[in-house]
Amino acid sequence: MQDSHVIFGWNPLWVSSFLFVITYAVIITERVNRAIVAIVGGCMMIALGVLNQEAAIRGIDFNTLGLLTGMMVIVAITRRCGVFQFIAIWSAKRVEARPWGILVMLSVVTAVFSALLDNVTTVLLIAPVTLLVTDELAVNPYPFLFTEILASNIGGSATLIGDPPNIMIGSAVHLSFNDFVLNLAPITPLILLLTLVVIYFIWGRGMEADAERRRHVMSLSEREAITDVPLLVKSMVVLALVLLAFVLAHPLGLEPATIAMMGAGLLLLLTNFGRDAEGQSKDVHRSFGEVEWVTIFFFIGLFVVVHGVEHAGLLELLARKILDMTGGEITITAMAILWVSAVASAVVDNIPFVATMIPLIKSMAPALGGAEQLMPLWWSLALGACLGGNGSLVGASANLIVAGMAERAGHPIKFLPFMLLAFPMMIGSIVIASVYLYLRFL
Amino acid sequence: MLPDDILIRTRTARTGMLIREVFEECLKARLQSLPFCDEEDKVVGRVTLKYIINRSIVPEYMAELAHVLGREMSAFEDMEARLKQVFDNSVEAYVQEPHAAIDSSTPLMKALAIMEHHDTSYLFVVDEGRYGGTLTIPGIAMWMSRLDKGR
Repeated sequence: MQDSHVIFGWNPLWVSSFLFVITYAVIITERVNRAIVAIVGGCMMIALGVLNQEAAIRGIDFNTLGLLTGMMVIVAITRRCGVFQFIAIWSAKRVEARPWGILVMLSVVTAVFSALLDNVTTVLLIAPVTLLVTDELAVNPYPFLFTEILASNIGGSATLIGDPPNIMIGSAVHLSFNDFVLNLAPITPLILLLTLVVIYFIWGRGMEADAERRRHVMSLSEREAITDVPLLVKSMVVLALVLLAFVLAHPLGLEPATIAMMGAGLLLLLTNFGRDAEGQSKDVHRSFGEVEWVTIFFFIGLFVVVHGVEHAGLLELLARKILDMTGGEITITAMAILWVSAVASAVVDNIPFVATMIPLIKSMAPALGGAEQLMPLWWSLALGACLGGNGSLVGASANLIVAGMAERAGHPIKFLPFMLLAFPMMIGSIVIASVYLYLRFL
Repeated sequence: MLPDDILIRTRTARTGMLIREVFEECLKARLQSLPFCDEEDKVVGRVTLKYIINRSIVPEYMAELAHVLGREMSAFEDMEARLKQVFDNSVEAYVQEPHAAIDSSTPLMKALAIMEHHDTSYLFVVDEGRYGGTLTIPGIAMWMSRLDKGR
């Protein structure tokens, strides 16, 4: 506690707990932008003396920030060439514009993209294609958009870079890209497959479109989506190198943030090669402008807030309580983390939840026999937090993005009807995850 | 101070006005936009022809995928019917944020600088919240032309 000098001699545990609860409560109300809340909360931790500035900066996970920022720059540049829309339209045409086939293809494409890009970018690319195609086919877009929301969160859970909770867990516990692929990716195709089976019985059987309308969809020109071939080549080369580097990160001795930043730097270099100073300045400004700075600053503030309560001993206290409740039994603890994470992530933002859970789980290590014994708990947290996002419309940012686009297109996705179907399906996916975790890790 | 004969004076859009009337007023004055006023005659927004047309015919997702659209699409077929329906709509659904505005005492050079700053070709002239006319680049050009002829 040498970094704490709380004003008026107040108890650091109480002060940090109060700031933590207030910060999270205001985030949940969504009355104030979450980045503002997190930054103010973080600064209050310092201003009230729970942390000094050096301690606060030590609490910020720059590996997470570097990985997020680097990937955001790569994706922002890559999407300009139109390759993702090319793949989405191409896949819709592969099934000869049959509605059910399109739903399956776009859902699979969404899941794969979400595993490699962030979920919000993925749905921003796929949802317009979905709305256009369903409009042409004169079929209800709701089942398509609904399934894509689920697919984005399922796909995002498969890799280190698929969803922010995985990035945070991977960074905090030094889990590699391969660790996520080997331990989480095997279960995601099964969850997606069973999701599609359920969707088929609810909507898929009745999906039809006449030949003329399907011909219209077949007339969509996916080649026209590629607006910049040189950029396409450069982006694909860099994306492939980045993925390869993630796979080889361990032997190369590279951290994920270094790889993402190197990829971003290389792509910026390649795309600006030969441009004059003004052209470079404009392009770099545009690329950095597309980074989601709200998310980055949200993370920064949150890391400081969580470090404050960790530093004051609250999380250790909570960890001991949880272990008392589960009797220190790893299976019960893993299941509790999985289910609580899933339900919590369905109703509140999973980023602050995971930010809190990481130090909390870390502090369980001595009681559970060391850091190695915690692995099932990390996978439980990752699966619970990512899949839990499917439980409601507010469970993940991607869900709200799709809902917004659907509403503007005249096909609103309402909170309650969505939740009535999505929540039981999310529970189903958590049951599958429970069985998988039990058989594989416990 | 803006010269008296440089402004284009029009009606304002307000609650209950039909899109048909907005079109008529804009076409008569050769303007792309009208200010939208509240019950107290204060300018609280604007309606533009571009926004009305795009919102009625071109959904957001179609603009996003403009390059890939085929030549024969169902969406294109009922375009005229959709356009005709738009004319009977009330203007409220098409109101956007207020446009950049100046007051009538603004020097012309400053008005031009504000246009450049906002990358627009027109400004509403508003005095104490009330609309007085629209300053446009064609309007300024005509005024300059009159100056040239009277030289």
